[in-house]
Amino acid sequence: MLFFRSEERVQQWCRAQDYVQRPIVRMDQLWMLAKTWYSTRLQPDSRRPQPAEMREIFARCGLKDSFWDSEADSFAAPGS
Amino acid sequence: MTFELEVKMAVYRHFAETGVRPSCEQVAERVGTTAGEVVEAYQRLRAQRVLVLEADGISIRMALPFSGVATQHLVKAGSRSYFANCAWDALGIPATLQQPATVYSRCEQSMEPLRLEVGLEGPAGSDWVFHCVVPAAQWWDDIVFT
Repeated sequence: MLFFRSEERVQQWCRAQDYVQRPIVRMDQLWMLAKTWYSTRLQPDSRRPQPAEMREIFARCGLKDSFWDSEADSFAAPGS
Repeated sequence: MTFELEVKMAVYRHFAETGVRPSCEQVAERVGTTAGEVVEAYQRLRAQRVLVLEADGISIRMALPFSGVATQHLVKAGSRSYFANCAWDALGIPATLQQPATVYSRCEQSMEPLRLEVGLEGPAGSDWVFHCVVPAAQWWDDIVFT
């Protein structure tokens, strides 16, 4: 999970590393994910989201591709 | 509060208050128990994907979003510095602390440095992007690589 200066840099990096390019996430979307995942982390009742909750969180952030589905099985291993 | 939850909270509070991982002894002191019992709780917390441990089974590699080892993602909040496990966790640290922070990282392709101010409402306008090569269903197959 890495930062890139632009989508073009992602494309260059994926080509160089022989990785499949995955969905691009904007910084505002990443902040929404970070806030949803972690804003209660220092509270005793904090817990990791379950798969259905994860799908709902990603969808709310505009990330609806099955890449973000923790129960999907349709993706090849990175680099394959 | 269960014993495991006490250990988890002690680990997280130590990271938040110091920026570095605690030793088993430091966690034991916070909880009022022995280091051996803390190590046993670590194993259960690892199974629950709360902690990621080093090969020695006693050193914390990750208590997401905090990293127990130095990484390319440095977060400064107040007078403290933290290492994040990944780009997502770099924003996760100010979200966890609920404090403004500055994220220092880089573009993985060009190595251009990133300095990102993150306020309580999120990062200032930035056209940088985030990319992950591992599908969500495989994140925990190798969480360190992810």
